[in-house]
Amino acid sequence: MSPQAPLSLGAAPPRTMPGAGLLAISALAGAVLLAWPIVFQGSFLVYIATLVMQFSIGACSLQLIIRTGHISMSHQAFVGIGGYTSVILVMKAGWAWHFALLAAIAAPALAGAVIGPILLRLTGKYFVLVTFLFGEIVRLVFIDWQSMTGGSNGIFEIPKPYPWMNDPTAYYYVSLGFAVACVGFCIRLMRSEIGRAIDAMREGPNLTECAGVPVFRIKVVMFIIACGLSGVMGSLNAHMNNVITPGNYGPMESLNLVVMNVLGGMTNMAGAIIGAVFLIALPELLRGYVEWQRVFYGIILIVVMASMPGGMVELLARLRSRLTGREAHLASAVAAEGRT
Amino acid sequence: MSTGGAPLLAVEGLSMTFGALKAVQDLSFTVHDGEILGIIGPNGAGKTTAVNAISGTFKPTAGRVTFDGHLVTGFAPHRLAELGLVRTYQATTVYGTQTVRENCRRGAFLHLYPGFFDALISSAKARAMRAAVEKEIDRLLDWLGLAQFADTEARNLPYGVQKTLGMAIAMAARPRLIMLDEPVAGLSAEETDHVRDTIKRIRASGISAIVIDHNMRFISGLCDRVLVIHHGQELAIGTPAEVMSHPDVIEAYLGKGHAAATAKANHAAPGH
Repeated sequence: MSPQAPLSLGAAPPRTMPGAGLLAISALAGAVLLAWPIVFQGSFLVYIATLVMQFSIGACSLQLIIRTGHISMSHQAFVGIGGYTSVILVMKAGWAWHFALLAAIAAPALAGAVIGPILLRLTGKYFVLVTFLFGEIVRLVFIDWQSMTGGSNGIFEIPKPYPWMNDPTAYYYVSLGFAVACVGFCIRLMRSEIGRAIDAMREGPNLTECAGVPVFRIKVVMFIIACGLSGVMGSLNAHMNNVITPGNYGPMESLNLVVMNVLGGMTNMAGAIIGAVFLIALPELLRGYVEWQRVFYGIILIVVMASMPGGMVELLARLRSRLTGREAHLASAVAAEGRT
Repeated sequence: MSTGGAPLLAVEGLSMTFGALKAVQDLSFTVHDGEILGIIGPNGAGKTTAVNAISGTFKPTAGRVTFDGHLVTGFAPHRLAELGLVRTYQATTVYGTQTVRENCRRGAFLHLYPGFFDALISSAKARAMRAAVEKEIDRLLDWLGLAQFADTEARNLPYGVQKTLGMAIAMAARPRLIMLDEPVAGLSAEETDHVRDTIKRIRASGISAIVIDHNMRFISGLCDRVLVIHHGQELAIGTPAEVMSHPDVIEAYLGKGHAAATAKANHAAPGH
């Protein structure tokens, strides 16, 4: 790890080609995802799964920023910009949802293009602090711009994108489609030469720049793409909830997206998805114990961070290497790196 | 590749000040195609600062840097790399958690990156570039004697081999001029000889080099010309033999008394 890296974000796992095992797991996951709303028709579990789809988009897009070496504490603010843009255009301007969605991608991307080049000059804890403040500023704008956003009460009775999406099963499949597209895009991006450069610049920024990588430009472009994608989550989420309020888009909610990445594993898109599943499902499972929720949260977070710096993806890698008997080539590498 | 004629790199009047500290003052030198220039000086003389000011890490306070006919003063490192000027660092030289081969791939970004959309869809162009770079890396690893370590993680390599890998990463960018900042710091005598031979072979393949170090034995055994820096200024420039017999250099390195003694010995006629 280079001395320039102010926060240890871990190294990229070795690049491997997808093997037969991975294909089998993907096929199984695909089958489960497609069958889910049919098996649990009319159940609360369909809603939870839809929420997971939306948060997967948020967590994976945030990982694009984290992988460049910057932990953004304002990502949920960009989700909010996307959400408000979509809702306002549909409800006040009468736009069809598909056009409003495009605007909901463009608006946070534009905001990211303006603020990114300024914020990304900061590194480490300074970036974390300033993005935290930026997230708070955006939340205050949502509260104070009453004529547009409805103030702290927000906007009510938001229609579904299309009438047929009043059916939770339909909403689930639409969210699944967007999640597959957005997450697939992130995975593809990180497996490309751009992803290689991004992982390299986090581990040795100077060394990478000397290889001809325009480090700063790539950081800015990734920030813009991530903010744009976050708008997809914003729009889908707001129209599903029927209501949009500033409280959903503050720094604490941004922290949630960061924690998803930390829990699951910050250097692997699968980690972001696992984190999203965990953090969305857990509060719902613990509904009867509201006062204990945060305690459980804290304990799990501490255990994961202390024993598995590579996140849950690391745990899976360890289990796999134990199962296949290939003693810990991959897992120990990930584990050892996380500790340095 | 032409020799003689216009220099590959020309530095004119380079100065770098931090507040009141004049770290580098009015430095001028050239590097020609296929030449190895040594930059030597005591610790704190401004060697690394000079390289930083050339390689875009800092913007120089004054002066001009021309590379291959382009005015490149203050250019960012990645733009210099595109033109063929690549440097290595004293400390961070390799990506520890990655294999030797992956380290080289990261160095070869310029020859791997096909453009955003081609990379995203892994187009025919992207795949062709990848195949070409893999071949090039095979050749490079063979050439530098790293082939046996291709799948080893860099942090598990002996320190001397890591230094060679650092040069392999720089070479993967296919530079015309490579700037090596203390390539033998912390190496044993045997490893030092190995690195010296490697740099000579790099030059033999038509690549120029600037080598920074404070070890006179290493520099004089390697370089065509040597620039001696003291207190941020040029003390002497010339062939290793010329520089080593220069009274100012002897004084800076060995102290005043020694310089006088050496001068006396040099002038001592047989009749005395």
